[in-house]
Formats: sequence, structure tokens, C-alpha cells
Amino acid sequence: MLTSIFPQAIGLCAGVLLLTSTLMVWRHSLLASIGLLAAQGIGLAALVALIGVHSGDAQLLVVSVLVLALKGVVLPWILARQSRASTRTVEESPHQNPIVALLTVAGLTILSYVVLGRILSHVGAVTAHAAPIGLAMVLTGFLLLVTRRRARSQLVGFLLLDNGIATVAFLTSGGVPLFLELGISLDVLLVVVILYVFTGRMHAKFGGTDVDTLRELHD
Amino acid sequence: MTAVTAGLLAQGMLALIAAVLAFSVPPRVRSVVGGTLCALTAGAGVITGALVLVGGHGNVTLVLALPVDPLILASSRLGGLFMVVISAVGVLVSVYGIRYAHGAAASRTSWAALAAFLLGMQLVPAAGNSLTFLLMWETMAAASTVLLLADHAHRHQVSSAAIWYSAMSQLSFLLLLAGFGVLGAAGVTTFSASGASVSTTPAAGLAFVLLIIGFGSKAGLVPVHVWLPRAHPQAPSHISAAMSAAMVSVGAYGALLVCTRLLPGGPPWWGVLLMVFGGVSAVYGILQASVTSNIKVLLAHSTTENMGLVFLAVGASVLLRSYHATAAADAALLAALLLLISHALFKATLFLGAGAIQHATGEIDLDRLGGLLRRMPWTAATFGVAALAAAALPVTSGFVAEWTLLQALIHGSRLGGTPVAVVVSVAMPLAVAVVALTAGLALLTFVKSYGIAFLARPRTAQPAATEVPIGMRIPMVLGALAVLAVGVLPGPVAEMAASVLPATRAPFLHTIGLGGISIPSIGVVLDPAALVVLAAAIAVPVAMIVRILSRRHPTRMTALPWGGGGSRARPRMQYTATSYAEPLVRVFDDVLKPSRDVQVTHAGESRYLVERVQVEQRMADVVETRLYRPVLNAAQRFGVLARHAQNGRIQQYLAYSFVALLVVLVVVAV
Repeated sequence: MLTSIFPQAIGLCAGVLLLTSTLMVWRHSLLASIGLLAAQGIGLAALVALIGVHSGDAQLLVVSVLVLALKGVVLPWILARQSRASTRTVEESPHQNPIVALLTVAGLTILSYVVLGRILSHVGAVTAHAAPIGLAMVLTGFLLLVTRRRARSQLVGFLLLDNGIATVAFLTSGGVPLFLELGISLDVLLVVVILYVFTGRMHAKFGGTDVDTLRELHD
Repeated sequence: MTAVTAGLLAQGMLALIAAVLAFSVPPRVRSVVGGTLCALTAGAGVITGALVLVGGHGNVTLVLALPVDPLILASSRLGGLFMVVISAVGVLVSVYGIRYAHGAAASRTSWAALAAFLLGMQLVPAAGNSLTFLLMWETMAAASTVLLLADHAHRHQVSSAAIWYSAMSQLSFLLLLAGFGVLGAAGVTTFSASGASVSTTPAAGLAFVLLIIGFGSKAGLVPVHVWLPRAHPQAPSHISAAMSAAMVSVGAYGALLVCTRLLPGGPPWWGVLLMVFGGVSAVYGILQASVTSNIKVLLAHSTTENMGLVFLAVGASVLLRSYHATAAADAALLAALLLLISHALFKATLFLGAGAIQHATGEIDLDRLGGLLRRMPWTAATFGVAALAAAALPVTSGFVAEWTLLQALIHGSRLGGTPVAVVVSVAMPLAVAVVALTAGLALLTFVKSYGIAFLARPRTAQPAATEVPIGMRIPMVLGALAVLAVGVLPGPVAEMAASVLPATRAPFLHTIGLGGISIPSIGVVLDPAALVVLAAAIAVPVAMIVRILSRRHPTRMTALPWGGGGSRARPRMQYTATSYAEPLVRVFDDVLKPSRDVQVTHAGESRYLVERVQVEQRMADVVETRLYRPVLNAAQRFGVLARHAQNGRIQQYLAYSFVALLVVLVVVAV
């Protein structure tokens, strides 16, 4: 039974990932973005679990629990905690207006389908067909990094990018070894903690986290 | 281990010891120790080169840990000749430096850099592959930059000169790197293998052009000469001498290496290119020299001229060889070598003389010098001999060299009475005209520099200059004697130079009479010693008769009844260097583009009584204002634009990566 609904389930999870990514670009509220990030973490964990169950790999189930814990709970919690601490509702004013941003995301998604479609055309697996979603997430994450002004919004973009990389890894190679995943997760955690401290210091020093004001170092 | 191998190793060891001791001995004896060891290093170079010239062989191969070619030092006759010439100059400047160097020029860094500079110059001609060549070349360039910078703390022009110099050095190095790269790709990897088979391919043509511009920059050819008139006046005089006499010869060695060993038998256009490059440099260089009043700048421009003539000769040789006029081609090549030897000798002497003038008077502006003949007789005599050579007048080496060049050019256009080719028939007479014009202007230039500085009356009321110490006189005298020796007895030197030419036919050159030369293949003979004897046979009796006649009228006093101002001539009424060159500036107004500024201060209310007139004349280097200024301005504008791209916004840097990623993806997708 699982085998018959596996393609649909994979498609559903990938859809959730893409949808959350797109909404992150659309929404300007930081708290909303963090909520979407948590949802995306849960979606990613579900995807890993699905692949694990389908391939009968117990290790992947452990990884899925890890992903759920880290990307679905811990990281969003850290971000949200900080956001609440500073201001209740942080409104982002990005460099792009939402319509242009959404169109760009559509373009990027098409590009990733074109690119990965060529590369993975000979792979028949169902998971490989969903892999372009991962690349689209990477590109969308990058777009957020480029267009957002505030350090914390950029952090969201960075995490989206990381999620995208993880998605591509799971979908194309059927998961990564546990130790590798553990290492990557620790890295991401470390980066987020460092950036968390850093933005805290920025806030204390400049009274804001708008990176546009950081232009002293250009000579 | 052969003697040559030992000599090559000894040079390296001595230079190392010189550098170490320069850093360790106390300042009191530093100049003596440093100068002596530098002279020993150069002396080892002279001996090694001489051993190679008399038929010695030897090589040193140093395998590196890096995955590149090994370092190879291998003897060749051409390299041996250059090693002798360069090292001989090295000996002179090292000995001179012992007494001359003071202040920053006598620092630890300067003496150590001089050792490295000499070693680099001496080993470039011994390099056996391009890696060794470039390494030694860069040692030479870097060490000379350090030497040039010696006095940067006190004069801001030094830093500017050093920036120009290092920029041009690096440009030259990059061109050489590219040239050797192309050459390697075309199949010429070591210097022992001849690339005659690939000489006509487009790749060889590209390599040729790159290498010639690179070497031309070191030799100070127009339009890559701009470092020369800047660097020479700012460097200490013995360093200027080493740079101007020896280092530019290394550049010319590079051109000869390309034309005779790496890519022999090139197509005619190579020869034409070299001749144009050389001819333009020769005329432009001497023209600039003739109108400048700074003695060191004058000598620097004269270097450009002489190197131009060398390249002209090499070009003529390539052109003639491509039309199988071998005899004339060999003569032209011989002329190039003689020009180089002669130039190294007289230019070293001239720069050392300029150093002596600067040492004694603290002045190098000809407009403020005068009357040094009585005060500094040794300097006057040696400078005079060298100036005669620079003006290519008889009984000096310069005359022999230019005579050979003219003979080769005149006899080159006809092979056994029939014209060789149209391009040769046009190029050779033009080249003769260029050499003639250059010789005329050179005469004017050196008459000016000698006449104004030594023969005129003192112009300033400064304390009288005194002759320099003996330690500085000896190198100048040796240099002047060498100039005369080559000039009077050119035979042995010419034979030595002829022996390094690619062997074509056995007796290319004969020594005749008292060390005269004869080149039977083009049917020319020169015997300066015989001319000297002949001239003496005529002049001595005449002089004696005049002397005897003058005894009969013991004291005759001339008093002008009406002197017209001539009887009360003051030093300020004399010709200055600027006024002497003024007619020339008028003639070549279009090329020199002088800008004049005349300020007249009137006495009181009168329009007719003048209290003071101030004339200021500046010569702009046309090449610099027309070629370099636009390029530099464009670079500056580009820099300003680039600062927009590099403005410190984090998002922008991220956007660059993002766009790069997208471009990669699009390229993959297409």
C-alpha cells in the first residue's frame, strides 16, 4: 500500500517544502517566516521518514527524528525567542516588492527544473523527479539572503538554503550517512548560534540589525 | 667539475657571502667589505665568462622539489661574452662604490642588494632554460628596485621613480613569461635546442613579439623606456652605472638570444619590426638627451639611443639573414655586439664620472655646472674619453662599433652587386640615415655635456670642487682606458665577439696590422692604430714647428681696443646647456613639444627697464603624454568604477555569488 502512495506522498512533502519557501518570500513578518520555517522543517522530516520507510533504512528514521528536532523545533525556537525578545512584530522591508519576488521565485523554480531535468533525466526514481524542488529552495534561500535587509531575515534565508541542500541530498542519493548528517546539523546549529549572538551584539551596538548601515569596511 | 662549473658556483657563493657580511659587519668597514666582495663576485664572473670564451664548458643543474623544470646554468659562448661585459662593469661599480657609497646607499640592505643584483645580471646569460632565466631576471629586477629605493626617505621623487620602475619591470616580466610560455607550447623548451624549425609558425611570431617587447623594456626602448629617465637620476651613481651599462645589456642579450639561438631564421618582418623599434628609439632617445640639462637624465636617454642602435643592428641581421645575405648579416650582428661592449664601457665611465661630479659639487644640473676641467682633471679626462666614445668619434670604441654597423648596413642592401630585395633596399638606406642622424645629435649632446660642465667657467659661487678620492678615480680611469683600448686596437675584441656568432663560415673576421679589423666577406678594413700613427706623424712635427715659432716671439699680449663686451664677459654670459640646445628645440619643435614660461619683472614704473627675466622651459615626453597618460587615466577611471562594485554592502556581495551561481546553472542548462 505504501508503495502505491509513495510517489504521491513524496510529491506532497515536496509541495509543502516549495510552498513554505514561496510563502517565506511573500510574507514580510519575521515571526510568520519563522513559523513557515518550522513547518518546512516538519515537512523535510516527513520526507526523510518516508524515504526511510520506503527503503527500509532504519538509520534514515533516526535522521528524520534528528531533522525534526533541529529544523522543526530547535532552530525556529532560537530565532523566535530572539524576535520576541526584541520586538513583537518585526516588519521586513525588502529590496524587492512581493510581486517581483514571487515572479523571481517562479523563474528560479523553472530554471532548477530545466537544469536538474537535464542532469537527472536518466534517473528513473520517483525521488529524483522531486529533486528540482530542493534546488529551487536553495535558490530561493539565496534570493532571501540577497534581498532582505535585516540580519535575522537573512538568517531565515540561510536556513532555507540549508534545507534546500538537505532536500537535494535526500532526494538524489537516498539520504546521507548518519554521522555526516550529524556533522552538518551541528555545523548549522553552530552557525545559527554565532549569528544569533552576532545579531544581538549588532542590536546592542547600532540599535538595529539593518545590514545596509554596515558599510564602513568597504575601503 | 670543470673550471666553468666552479666559476658559476663561485659567483653564487661569493654573492651569498657578500650579502651575509653586508648584514653582519659593523658600519665602519661595511663599505670596504661589501664593495670588495661584490667586486670579487663580479671578478669571478669575468673569469668564468673568459673561460667560456676560450672554449671552456660546464653546467650546473639544480633539481627542485617543486614539480617544475630543474634550474640549469649552462655555458654558451654568447652568454660568456655577456658575462664578461656585465661582470667587468660590476667590478668597476663595486670598487667605485667603496668610496662613493654613503648614507642610505651604504646601508646593509643596499650592499646585500648590490650583491644579489650583480649575481642576477651575471647569471641571466648563463641560464639554460626559461625557468632559470626568469628566476635570475627577477632577482636582477627586484634587487635593482631595492637599490633604487635606497634614498627614498629623503627625496619623494625616488618613490615615484621606483613605482614606475617596478611597474615597467613587472610588465616586462609578464611579457617574457607569456613569451616563453608560447615558445614552450611551440616546442622550444630548453635553450640548447634550436627552434629553427618552428620559426615561421604564427606561434613563434607571437612569442617573438612578446619577448622582444619584454626585453626592449629592460633595454629602455621607446615606447617602454619611461622608467629609464626616472630611475637613473634618482639611484646612487654607481647603481645608475650598473643599471645603465650592465642591466640594459641583459635586455639586449635577451633579444640576441631570441634571434640567434631560440628562433633563428625568422621571417623578414621580424627584422623590420626590430629595425623600426630600434631606429625610433635611437632617434627619440638622442633627441631627448640633446635637449635635457640634467646630466644623468641625459645619460639615461643616451642609453635608449645606444640600445636602439643595438636593436637596429640585430634587426638588420635578421632581415639580411632571411634573404640569405649571410656575410652582411654576420657583420650586423658583430656590430651589435661591438656596440654593446662599447656602450657598457663608456656608459659605465660616464655614469661614474657623473657620480664624481655629484660627489664633488652636489649638483647634476648642467646649467649650474662649469669649470670642472681645472678642479677635477682626472674626472675631466675620463669623462672626456667616454664622451668621445658616446659621440662615436675615432680612437674610441664607439667609433669602431658604429663604423662596423654602417659598413654592414651599406654593404647589406647589395649582395655581390645585385639588390637583395625591395624591403632590404628600402630599409638599409633608411637605417643608414637614422644612424647618421643619431651620430650627429650624439656629437652635439656630448659636446654640450662636456663643454658646459668642464670647459665653461664656473657659474655658481659655491666652494670650489675638488677631485674625488683615488678609490673612485681608479674605476673611471680603467673604464676610460678600456674605451681607448677597444678604440685603438679593436682586433682582439672584435675577434672575440665574432667567435660567439653562430658559426657559418670559418674566417669571418681577420685581425690585421696593429690590431685592426678586416671583414673580407664585405670587403672592409679598419686599422685605427695605423691611423693614430699616421695622424701622429703629421701632427707632431706641426706642433713642434708651432712651438718653435712661438718661442721666437716670446711674450705677445693681446689687448682688445674695443672689446664689445667680450673683454668683460661674466660667467652668466656663457652658453648654458639649455641655450646651447635651443636651436635644436626649435628644429624638433613638433616632436619635443616644449612648454615655455617667460616672466618679466619691470624695474619700477618703466616699461623699458627690465629688472629680471625668468625663463622656464619644460620638455614633456610625447610618448608619455600621448600613450601612457590615457592608459593610466583609463585605469584610474576603471578603478573608480570598480569601487562602485566593491562598496561594502553585504547583500551586494551575496548578489554576486547568487548571479554567478545562476550563470553557472544557465550554462549547464543550455
